[in-house]
Parts: sequence; C-alpha cells; structure tokens
Amino acid sequence: MEWSVLWEDWIWLGFAATGFAILFNVPYRTLWLIFILGALGGTLKLLLLQQGVNIVLSSFVGALLIGILSIQAAHFRHAPSFIFAIPAVIPMVPGAFTYRMMLGIIHLTGENDNTIFLQLLQETVDNGLKAFFVLSALSLGVSTPMLLNRHNSTKEIKRIKQITENLSE
Amino acid sequence: MVLSEKGKINELCKILLEIGALLMEVGANTFRIRATVMRVASAYGYHAELLITHRALMLTIYNEESNHFFSRLMQTSPQHVNFRIVSGISRMSWHIVEEKWSLEMVRKEIDRLKSVSHYPRIVSLFMVALAGASFCRIFGGGAIEMIIAFVATFIGLFVRQEAVKRAFNPYLCIFSAAFISAMISGASVYWHIGNKPEYAFATSVLYLIPGIPLINSLLDFLDGNIMNGVVRGINGLIIAFSIALGLLGAILIYNI
Repeated sequence: MEWSVLWEDWIWLGFAATGFAILFNVPYRTLWLIFILGALGGTLKLLLLQQGVNIVLSSFVGALLIGILSIQAAHFRHAPSFIFAIPAVIPMVPGAFTYRMMLGIIHLTGENDNTIFLQLLQETVDNGLKAFFVLSALSLGVSTPMLLNRHNSTKEIKRIKQITENLSE
Repeated sequence: MVLSEKGKINELCKILLEIGALLMEVGANTFRIRATVMRVASAYGYHAELLITHRALMLTIYNEESNHFFSRLMQTSPQHVNFRIVSGISRMSWHIVEEKWSLEMVRKEIDRLKSVSHYPRIVSLFMVALAGASFCRIFGGGAIEMIIAFVATFIGLFVRQEAVKRAFNPYLCIFSAAFISAMISGASVYWHIGNKPEYAFATSVLYLIPGIPLINSLLDFLDGNIMNGVVRGINGLIIAFSIALGLLGAILIYNI
C-alpha cells in the first residue's frame, strides 16, 4: 500500500483540525495540541482503513484515540477536554458520504425511469447509512473517555490530592 | 461592598444564570452547564436547582441554614461557538472553589470573558480556507482542486461572517455561505477544471458542517438529557439541510 501517501496525509489532517479550532476560537495555547491530536486520530483511522477494517469501526477507533489523548491534554494544558477533542475529530466527519447522499436525493426527485431510480435509491441509502453510522461512531468514540471520566473530572482528581496534601501539612 | 443576605443571594443568582447562559451560547453540553453552575453555587454555600432549555434557563437557589431561597429565569442568546469562553469559565469555576473568590471578582471575570478577543479575521479566514484545502487533499484532490477548495471556502466564510454581522437568520447565513461556496467550486465542475473537480465541490462546504450541535446532541442523549439532545440534534439537522439547499441551488444552476 502507498505508505508515502499516509506520510503526507497527517499534515493535512492536522491543518483541517487547526482550521476548525480557529473557527471555534480556542485559546492559543491549545492550538498545536489540537494539530497533533487531529493528525494522530486521523492517521490511525486511515491506517485501519488500509488494513481493510470497516469504515465505521476505524472511525470509532480513531475518535477513541482522540478522546483518550484529549483527557491527557486537558491535564497538561488546563482546559476542558472537549476543547481538544471536538476540533480534532471534525476532519474525520464523513463529508463525502453526506455529499453523495444529498446529491442522490436531489437526483432521485427528478428521476422517472424505474430501474435507474432503484439503483440510485440503493446508492443513496447506502451512502446515507454510512454517513449516519460514521457520525455516531465519531461522537461515541470521542465521548466514551469523557463519560468514563465523568465522576472524577480532570480537575477534581488534582483537587483531592491538594486537599490531602494540605491536611498533612 | 458588604451585601445583605438578600442582596447577596440576588447577585449570586444573577451570576449563576449568566454563567449558565454564557455556556449555553458558546456551545457547552448540558451536563457541563449543570455541573459548573452547581459547583459555583455550592462554593458559596447554596444548593442550586436548574432547568436548562435551549433558549432559557431557570434557577432556584436556597440555603438550608437561613432558609432563604431565590428563583429567576434568564433567556439565552443565539449560539456562536467560542471555546475560549468555555475554557475561561471552567478555570474561573475552579478559582472560585479553590481560592474563595468574592462575587465582585466573579462579576469582573465574567465581563472580561464576554469581551474576550477573537483571532484576527484574516487569520481565521486563511486557516479555515487551508482546512478546506486539506479536506480536499484527504479525499484525494490534487493541487488545482485544493486551490479551488481554498478560494471557495475563503469567500464562503467571508460571506457568512458578513451575514452574521448583519444579524441575518442563522440558517440563512449558512445557506448563503454554502450557496456562494458551491457556486465558486461548481464553476470548476462546469468547465472541467482539474482532474477531479467534484472533490473540490464536495469539500468546499465542509467548514459549515454542524459538528458541535451533533456531537453535543449525542453527549446529551448519553447523559439522559433527552429533550436538550433532541433540540440540539434538530438544530444540527436544519443546519445540514441549509447546506444541502445551498448545494442544490448551485447544482440546479450549473445543471451538474
């Protein structure tokens, strides 16, 4: 497989994530971390796709990696973890599938021939379902680490430590 | 300034609602809003009960010792995502808990956060356009397609910013941006510029995708805030529909 393509793709994934980060007006200090998170998650997804893994599963794993790393980033940069996770995961959003689905729907409305209609319908439903499931997999992957972390949020763990230190002083 | 008990509870309620409304406006999920407001309230020794909807917040705070309670409603403004404010409020809430900030300090910090700076306009236009070009590259476009996606995104985002400045309906802003982007990138499909101009066409509107409403919607569902999840999800779908309408306009005009 073309490894050189993958070697280049992470840069574009990173830039796509950073562009969205700027659109969402994230703090300056988080920008380069978002670049790295977006590049890592996207590259993992592309790697899995090359190994023949289903697109929904590979998107989920990529998003899961971003979710886990975003919690580490939150410790490191003192900002809520979803500030890192959401811009980083957006380059993986299934834009091409959604676009083909919308195009299919538009063509369907003007199609009279029965066989072509059925073929178009099949393609449109296929693209639409893929887009929906990839999007769900992305949100689920990103939010799973956050949900697992819920009851002792990043800051609280530190705070409990601090309180115990203060008590022992 | 020493406030009486009544004055203090009044001011605290106002501040809590402002924090909640600000978080709702800048794109935080429902769990975060509730957790932050309750955390701040308990730092001042009050218990808070909060009703969160998309356009208004209702809060009751009470103190069990003095048996005082106070209720208030506050409307939230339309959404404009700004993660710098989310981060600032998160930091502030921990300062309040750990360093026992006074109410005046909190008020000052909220006013500072409201006027927090954006990235310079040219930087955001350039970086988002670069993101559009990157998308095009990831989907398999070449150099020419990337340039087309860059220009289409740049001008589309400019149109959207101008429309937002003139306080158009938010969906209309997105529709006009999608339409302009699709018209620019659609021209390359119409005149067959480059090898795969349809990649540029597909990726030129991706900067508009409602990523935050859809992800927040799912997060709300997972937390059991079904109502908020439904509202956010439908908002995301209307945005996607506006983008599709913009694309449809360009497709019909160019007949591609």
